[in-house]
Amino acid sequence: MKRISIAMVAGLLAALFAVAPPVQAQQAKKPNIVIILGDDMGFADMGAFGSEIKTPNLDALANEGVRFANFYTHASCSPTRSILLTGVDTHLNGLGNMDEWTAPNQWGVDGYEGYLNNRVVTLPQLLKDAGYHTYMVGKWHLGKSPEQIPAARGFERDFSLLDGAASYWDMTNFTAAAPKTVFTENGRYLTRLPEDYYATKTYTDKLIGFIDADRGDGKPFFAYVAHQAPHDPFHMPREWRSRHVGEYDKGWDAVRQARLKRQIELGIMPAGTQLSERMWFVPDPIVLAPASRAILGKKMELYAGMVENLDFHVGRLIDHLKKIGEYENTVFIVFGDNGAEGTDLFKMIAGKPGTRDYLFAAIHWSQTHPNAWGDPGSYVGYGPMWAQVSMTPFSQYKGWLAEGGIRNALIVSGPAVKRPKGSVNHGLMHVADLMPTLLEIAGTGYPKTYKGRELTALMGKSWGRVLAGQAESPRTEQDYIGWEIFGNRAVRQGDWKLRWQYKPLGKGDWELFNLAADPAERKDLAGERPDKVRALVQLWDSYVRANNVVLPSRSPYETLDDQLPKRVPDDPGFPPLIYKRQFMPPRDMMADPKP
Amino acid sequence: MKPIAWMWLVVATMLALGALCPQQTLAQVPGRFYWKTLSDANAVPVIVNSVSGNTNPFDPAHTVTPGASLDATVALAGYARTFSLFDRAAMAAVLVPMGRISGDVTVAGRTFNQSANGFGDPMIEFNINVLGPPAQKNIPDVLRYEPGFSIDLLADLALPIGQYDSDQPLNIGQNRWYGRLGMPIIWQLGPWVPGQRTTLEFLPAVWLFGDNDNYVGQTLKTDPLFQLDAHLTRDLTEHFWGAIDGAWYYGGKSSINGVAGEELNNLGFGLTLGYQINDNLNLTIGYKSTVNDDAPGDLRMDSFMVTLVFGWHPLLEGARRLKGE
Repeated sequence: MKRISIAMVAGLLAALFAVAPPVQAQQAKKPNIVIILGDDMGFADMGAFGSEIKTPNLDALANEGVRFANFYTHASCSPTRSILLTGVDTHLNGLGNMDEWTAPNQWGVDGYEGYLNNRVVTLPQLLKDAGYHTYMVGKWHLGKSPEQIPAARGFERDFSLLDGAASYWDMTNFTAAAPKTVFTENGRYLTRLPEDYYATKTYTDKLIGFIDADRGDGKPFFAYVAHQAPHDPFHMPREWRSRHVGEYDKGWDAVRQARLKRQIELGIMPAGTQLSERMWFVPDPIVLAPASRAILGKKMELYAGMVENLDFHVGRLIDHLKKIGEYENTVFIVFGDNGAEGTDLFKMIAGKPGTRDYLFAAIHWSQTHPNAWGDPGSYVGYGPMWAQVSMTPFSQYKGWLAEGGIRNALIVSGPAVKRPKGSVNHGLMHVADLMPTLLEIAGTGYPKTYKGRELTALMGKSWGRVLAGQAESPRTEQDYIGWEIFGNRAVRQGDWKLRWQYKPLGKGDWELFNLAADPAERKDLAGERPDKVRALVQLWDSYVRANNVVLPSRSPYETLDDQLPKRVPDDPGFPPLIYKRQFMPPRDMMADPKP
Repeated sequence: MKPIAWMWLVVATMLALGALCPQQTLAQVPGRFYWKTLSDANAVPVIVNSVSGNTNPFDPAHTVTPGASLDATVALAGYARTFSLFDRAAMAAVLVPMGRISGDVTVAGRTFNQSANGFGDPMIEFNINVLGPPAQKNIPDVLRYEPGFSIDLLADLALPIGQYDSDQPLNIGQNRWYGRLGMPIIWQLGPWVPGQRTTLEFLPAVWLFGDNDNYVGQTLKTDPLFQLDAHLTRDLTEHFWGAIDGAWYYGGKSSINGVAGEELNNLGFGLTLGYQINDNLNLTIGYKSTVNDDAPGDLRMDSFMVTLVFGWHPLLEGARRLKGE
């Protein structure tokens, strides 16, 4: 009997195995993951976030997924990227300061290496271990030496710009000291760029090639699409430069107002939201001559072209994924890496007449005629006025810890999202959340050690429950987020935000804002709520201790107070002098002079 | 460069490039003469030619005098103003030729060694764009201007009031009405960026002539003359450009008391260099010569030409004063 039973069980098992599909095929295929990062793309630059810029492909992702209107990055690019790829605070992962601005007192300090250090593991490394193909195209900015490049930090295939910015057309860099930008492809340093190179196009072509090359093995892929666009210089093919001719002559105030109106209609911002102050050194555009508005407006026309070109190439990628049947199984995550750029980078780079870098700029970056804007050799940024438009309705821009420097638009779509399509969420999110979220989506977790090294704990919170519609925020009211870069510092807990910034964009002291009531940070409540200041300063101190924050002894902003005009309040309509129109007396009271 | 500085530079460049300069009546016109600029701008051109050949350079009919050997110094001075008409770029100008000419002329078998000097027939000109960008009525329009492919209509009329001596065939004035209908064409090749601008330009035109009833006591009639000027122009730097010029003359058969001469069918080629001296002043120098001119009846003409165009606009002059320049 026993023998019969064993035989029967064995036969049953054999029959079961004979008809059962392989275990791997039985399980649903893990979703692909695509992170689309816009470099310096502002909170309000996509149509789905209130922009007049036409971004149908990004908007389609928003309409099929969910938009997050309370999402934070860092205030500049490499710090944000370091958090994105490690889930660890910048002061621990190696980007405690940007490599370009590491202060003397930070030199040699762990966490301030200027590249991703070896005490952190990267998202692609963990996803690769979880069975993913890992691809990267675009800007890296996290180290150039062989052990620091994308191939060494987890990407199987890459086509990467290692520098922080560059020409979109060729390998021309910005300074005489570093005249050539550095690229890698699959771990090899490129001696030249492909024929017909244009950054956004080529990155997309390369990624499509990577996906197709590995498609046969059935593994999911993780693609980090770190577009250079729309970072200045605004380089783009001619056909993308003239899609908005004259549209921005009306000036930045009108465009900001229109964007805010749409944001309120879309539910991105609550009704009653005010615009932040126009930077005090930016003129009211209505007092400018038409020529000034035209030439300044042209810069925004170009920026809009950059964003639309970016959207076009995102569309190419989406179309390809649809064509090969992978779109439905792909999680898309879209955001900008920091606030829009309001600083004149070229002025910083080119230096003054008589300097080495000025000479370099004269040779390589002197195509300054407006009709040449967009060509190789031209360098166009759009200035603080348009950066504020990109960051509508927030205050300030990239490099600063006002909301305009760190709040960004986030879109998540794909199989992980169970919230209503096209919905808007206002939960408090942070770029550090991506690591735990994506590991969860990939069915894996964050290890305590990696290759024998103990890892720093993650700072982020998974969005799993938020995406599933089971929670509105990954954070409780007690959770807080801290930032420090260039000596500017901030902490947010719940609706409250405390920040310290260099003068004159800051006060050189703590400022307190209630972001629920005042997202544009117009009213400093530090004087009215010293209790709240004390509580948040304590959180700041905790953040410093937990993350080895070393405030820099030097900062790019240390002399800014001497360079900008004295800060004055932004009072609309002041002074009345410049707004008064010609007085027209009653017709029946007019007369010629008597002889 | 600051935006306002660009505004200044773009407009000033357009002015100083000679875009306002009315065409020279006596030979092919230099390239870039029909480029457009801001409405209500002004220009004073001064054009000096040193011409040799077998035709009177003051006479646009280019009537060939076989065996003649003439030398002339021709100067033209004038005034031009641009304006907007029905939203199209338009220009009106008046040009007064002046100078001297001397040489051997054979008429009815007699050879004269003659000379003449004084003012020629003033010419008024009207030009309007009919295909291409609208008029540049403000500086934003100037900043956004690119000619693309543009076509103008051109009309000239010379007034027969210049120096004329009916006792001799060689004169500065022509003692007859004449004028021209033309169609300047500009074809932009590539980007419209100073330092890179390239154009192919054509000016097909028909010269029409009245009769001179007192040409050394005889009647001079001239058939219409078709003239095609062509220029391939190219920026060499932002302020320095060059052109290869060509011209074709066809028709224009003249008769004296019913005795017909030969019609023209001649080609000429030349080179021009232009330089923007400052925001207001542009200089061109050029040389051109007929090529198929071996037969006695062929048009034979070569000339050196120097043009100096001073252009200005009240807006820019005011801005300059504010800048303290």
